[in-house]
Amino acid sequence: MKKLKLTIEGMHCASCASNIEKSLKKISGVNDARVSVMTKKGFVEAEDVVSDKDIEKAVSRAGYKLIKIE
Amino acid sequence: MDHNHEEKIEDSEIKSWKSKLIWSWIFTVPIAFIMLLERIFDLSIVEMPYQSILILILAFPVVFIFGWPTIKAGIRGLVTFYFNMDSLISLGTVIAYLTGLIAFTGVIQDYSGVAAMIMAFFTTGKFVEAQARGRSSQEIRKLLELGAKTARIVKGNKEYDIPITEVQVGDILLIKPGEKIPTDGVVIKGESSVDESMVTGESLPVEKAKGMNVIGATINQDGILYVKTTKVGKDTFLAHIIELVEEAQGTKIPIQKLADKITSIFVPVILILSALTFIGWAIVTGDISRSLGVGIAVLVIACPCALGLATPTALMVSSGMGAKRGILIRKGEAIQTMKEVKIVVFDKTGTITKGKPEVTDINTIKGIKEKELLNISASLEKLSEHPIARAIVNKAALKSYRKVTGFKVLRGRGVEGKIGKSIVIIGNQTLMKERKIKLEKINKSIEDFEEDGKTTMIVTMNKKVLGVIAVADSVKEDSKEAIRKLNSYGYRTVMITGDNERTAKAIANQVGIKEVIANVLPENKAKKVEELQISGMVAFIGDGINDAPALKQSNVGIAMGTGTDIAIESGDIVLVNGSLIGVVQAINLSKATFKKIKQNLFWAFAYNVIAIPLAVAGVLHPVVAEIAMALSSITVVSNANLLKKKKID
Repeated sequence: MKKLKLTIEGMHCASCASNIEKSLKKISGVNDARVSVMTKKGFVEAEDVVSDKDIEKAVSRAGYKLIKIE
Repeated sequence: MDHNHEEKIEDSEIKSWKSKLIWSWIFTVPIAFIMLLERIFDLSIVEMPYQSILILILAFPVVFIFGWPTIKAGIRGLVTFYFNMDSLISLGTVIAYLTGLIAFTGVIQDYSGVAAMIMAFFTTGKFVEAQARGRSSQEIRKLLELGAKTARIVKGNKEYDIPITEVQVGDILLIKPGEKIPTDGVVIKGESSVDESMVTGESLPVEKAKGMNVIGATINQDGILYVKTTKVGKDTFLAHIIELVEEAQGTKIPIQKLADKITSIFVPVILILSALTFIGWAIVTGDISRSLGVGIAVLVIACPCALGLATPTALMVSSGMGAKRGILIRKGEAIQTMKEVKIVVFDKTGTITKGKPEVTDINTIKGIKEKELLNISASLEKLSEHPIARAIVNKAALKSYRKVTGFKVLRGRGVEGKIGKSIVIIGNQTLMKERKIKLEKINKSIEDFEEDGKTTMIVTMNKKVLGVIAVADSVKEDSKEAIRKLNSYGYRTVMITGDNERTAKAIANQVGIKEVIANVLPENKAKKVEELQISGMVAFIGDGINDAPALKQSNVGIAMGTGTDIAIESGDIVLVNGSLIGVVQAINLSKATFKKIKQNLFWAFAYNVIAIPLAVAGVLHPVVAEIAMALSSITVVSNANLLKKKKID
């Protein structure tokens, strides 16, 4: 298990946040994903097998840009 | 920590909306002018087809250049099925614009000017909304910007200014009066008072001297301090607070669930509804132009944003207000649960009292000297970590201790061990009863001490009482005021403690708590909370370390910080400074926030419930629809900002 903090660019609406959450939750190994349109931050709880690349792909699949992952 | 980048996202968002907005209107104002002249005065600036061409040319950049990010995101959403707000706007504007091209065949009304106006209003709305959202997060942003940028490091006899990122644990930093303490550390030389209000919410300056901890980002006031760095970067107190606040923004509040569900299916539903509206109107009226106008109005009036922003903006404003006062809301859920809470349970030690017990009295039986009693007690208690043990050790202030063998801590009761061949047991009455040690010789003094709210430790050797040590833990200055307020709000206030009944009652009386649960072992606190929960929702207030299970068991757990350390993992709400006034503020803040969220959700629902049918009915012009939409989300965010005006102290 690991906990990641994402910084995401391009969100300007609440449906954006829910889109990113949905896309992140589709990655197998992701247990929880919460995205805030207010802070432009996302918090992901995932198994160790989930790579940063998977996360980045999921964010861009929903149409947004991952700026930082920590 | 690097927060500059994030600030840039916020600011660049507002800036880019602003430039788009200006350019959009430069092109849209002439369009509006031409359209008005035509509609109202039946005048044309240029001859027909040319006028249409002029509008098409003017509208093009508004929709497809300044509006391009929206169009792109919207189309992408339509293709990938990750629908968003942009999908509605882009579909609405693109269709409207296309009518301008089709209009040359003469069968349809030209909506291309309307397309530009929709986009211009959309952009304006987004700009105002982004600004309002900026205001919502103002307090939090202040927190992010609080950290020092540089530090003055001392090496040998020289001082250097270095960037904060280069400071390492162990570095000696020099802080002059009026300067910001760069990072967490411990004072090694100098004395000063430090303003910690920006981090802990504690309004009075805190005196610092050698050996005391200082928090990064607080302001040194009047003396020079030499500080040895203990924590840097992500490990600092401030970084923990920021992390906690940021993480809380993503937590869900139950009331928001319905809104979230609706938001997630909102866009596709509106797309279908809009198509049905168009078809319905076309069949009934046979007027394709009019039907298109109505269909577009439905697309652009629907606003998932107002629904989706209702809760997060209020939570954001609330978090900012809390952080300023040293109240950190970790779980948004607590805001909703708080209003159901009927019972407020306080742990005694460290919550109502200062948690720093001191020896106040010593009574010995005949033939035993006070010094001898302390000597024996301190030798044993030296091996224990308990605050009472520390109080005894401090009082004795021995230069050397006796050798103790077979030392054991008896949790919640006392300690035992051997000095030479003698068995020494020090503890409370429960322990004495357990070991069948008779107390008649000192019973009177035990009773007297307990009636004063003091905790008594009985010292015995070989099952014989030697004397009793009374320890008092003074009540925090503002505990009484806080509990008076809670009582006046109608809460049932309860104190829970490991102390015996008499001591506990004496303390409870001092602060105005009517109900006491005494003699509770640390591990049973959670169970007692559970029992109380039968009669109503419980908020538990305790320190985050010993009381973690009780904090978890309660409906709302409020963890008390100690000023330099915060218990991050336990507690739905964390109070950075240890003041109980924070509990009152946290309750008031939660209630005010929840009320605001309910208001916001009500307006957001009401807006959509009223506006969408109006659009379907064809009452609203698409441009009016767009203006209404923009106003709805601006209203929600602005309403959330009004929370700042609430008095919670």
